[in-house]
Amino acid sequence: MITFESVTKRYAGGTVAVDALDLEIPDGQTMVLVGPSGCGKTTSLRMINRLIDPSEGRIMLDGQDIAQVAAPKLRRGIGYVIQQAGLFPHRTIEDNIATVPLLEGWNKARARDRARELMDLVGLDADMARRYPYQLSGGQQQRVGVARALAADPPVLLMDEPFSAVDPIVRSSLQDELIRLQAELHKTVVLVTHDVEEAIKVGDQVAVFYPHGKIAQLDTPQHLLGSPADEYVENFLGFDRGIRRLAFFSAGQLDLEDGCVLPAETTVDQARAGAQRCGEPWVLVTDGNRRPRGWFAVSDLDRQPGQETLGTLSLPLAPLGHTFQVGRDSLRAALDATVLSRTGRAAGVDNQGRALGITTYERLRAAIQTAEQAGLDGNPDQPVFREGRTTPEAQTDGQTDPAGSAEPAGEGVRPS
Amino acid sequence: MSWAWQNRDQVGHYLGQHLYLALLPILFGIVVAIPVGIMCVRWRWTWPPILSLTSIFYAMPSLALYLVLIDYTSFTDWTVIIPLTLFSLSVLIPNVVDGLRSVPAPVQQAAVAMGFGTLRRTVQVDLPLAVPVIIAGLRVATVSSISLVSVGQLIGIGGLGYFFTDGEQRDFTTEIYVGLVLIILLALVFDGLLVLARRWLTPWEAGRAPRGQRRRAVTVTLGGSSAGLTGGHHAHAGHAGGGGGHGGGGGHG
Repeated sequence: MITFESVTKRYAGGTVAVDALDLEIPDGQTMVLVGPSGCGKTTSLRMINRLIDPSEGRIMLDGQDIAQVAAPKLRRGIGYVIQQAGLFPHRTIEDNIATVPLLEGWNKARARDRARELMDLVGLDADMARRYPYQLSGGQQQRVGVARALAADPPVLLMDEPFSAVDPIVRSSLQDELIRLQAELHKTVVLVTHDVEEAIKVGDQVAVFYPHGKIAQLDTPQHLLGSPADEYVENFLGFDRGIRRLAFFSAGQLDLEDGCVLPAETTVDQARAGAQRCGEPWVLVTDGNRRPRGWFAVSDLDRQPGQETLGTLSLPLAPLGHTFQVGRDSLRAALDATVLSRTGRAAGVDNQGRALGITTYERLRAAIQTAEQAGLDGNPDQPVFREGRTTPEAQTDGQTDPAGSAEPAGEGVRPS
Repeated sequence: MSWAWQNRDQVGHYLGQHLYLALLPILFGIVVAIPVGIMCVRWRWTWPPILSLTSIFYAMPSLALYLVLIDYTSFTDWTVIIPLTLFSLSVLIPNVVDGLRSVPAPVQQAAVAMGFGTLRRTVQVDLPLAVPVIIAGLRVATVSSISLVSVGQLIGIGGLGYFFTDGEQRDFTTEIYVGLVLIILLALVFDGLLVLARRWLTPWEAGRAPRGQRRRAVTVTLGGSSAGLTGGHHAHAGHAGGGGGHGGGGGHG
């Protein structure tokens, strides 16, 4: 637990970077400090490992005032990742990673073993160990930066705009990597960023800073998007926060229609009858394993011979579009798949890629309404759904599906 | 050339003396310049006065200094070595300071945040990273020193400079040319050695690697699944490059 007790940082000349900040950062969570440049978020972060000393107030780490600990000793117990990775250009990758263990007096062999372990953990090839930083791409350097910060297994990890110097695709994969690592390691992470999307994606808690060193709102990402404290926070979050908030509701809440999900062996007559029962203008055709293949319009089926099966029709299937995985994906993903689909419908699948049912705008609207209501009344201690993070629901089947559910639209849906 | 061969004992003697007079000041210079440079970076207020002092050393006519020193050190080697040491300091101290200041801010910050103490950071991070700039200074200082030793001949201690005055007195230009060529060769050889030393000490420098090696590094970065194989080749290329460099050094010597 890191606690800021009315911490103020005032620079010579009177500029106040951080203004009487009170903040509790619980163990094992990711706390994101976000705000415009000059808002004091970086200053706050750097006060935790005493790169900057506060003018007033104190910072406690696990009940101890950090001002009482010798700075180098304190710092070796706190991992630190910075924007440009800040790797030592003259040291090989393994020696960079082994920096803190070596400072702590480990012998070289043990420190290097540890470095190899960490390279594996952050997804770096072992044969990069003997290379120098200039031989790596920006994204790889940043992975080394993270590995170096974790080398001595510190309980606390400070990340100062760690992903802002890499391109958006690499950034996104590094963020996913951080989420994965955090699920495994449960460090107390404090991450500074000016990117509110990043804050919402990786944070368990997000502290939004006003431009003058005070916190505007401290909340979970979900509540931040749902009920911004004031106009400043609302503007800072951006215009489509309503849609983005759907990422915090599980697609499992959708009431899926399964009456019109039909295997390829179904006859046209049966299909028409089924569609009529559930009042759907489209039917979803699946293969023998219940994997969705594409859509037929009921109006097109009317002109087909009634005894023929769906799999043998010469009629072309409308492309499947994106599917969403119930239990893993969010309402946002389900809505997105529905909006993108030509049929105005999207198929929900289980973790084996088997169709569970379809959703429509109507059904989405109902689920969103229920979720919003539950979100507002919700117990804040209840674990929230997070898109792309492992949830018990997604694990029910015990088996993993390497193929995933997000098949590209229209691929492999030709009738055989 | 045949004159030089016939007088090889004499040539060897003056060559040795020349080397001794030129290189000892460089050695003293670097031993003093590194701690002084560190001090100037650590305590910033010490830098302006020391910079002024180095400028004075640089501007001072060496001949005048020789003549002044004769009163104290008479006609010993010190009369040449001391002015040359001061001259080398005038080049080396600013270079050490520039080198230490060239360490990128994120690297310094990372070092502090990792928990390096001041001394360890200086020795393990700042100094190694300052090596390219320090060696650039050493090259200038060494070549200048090798050239300046001959001025000492005006007070009779000048290494290969002996051949200039002796050749002039005997009206024998061959001797002057032999001295001149040997001094130039010495300068080239030591400059080359320093270039090799830099390559050996800084295998980590981007853009210092041979071209092919650099391109391979990029392929590795982009290579994805083939990274393992390519990486192996890359390591070999590195060793081969190093070996070639040493071979070249032998040739020079």
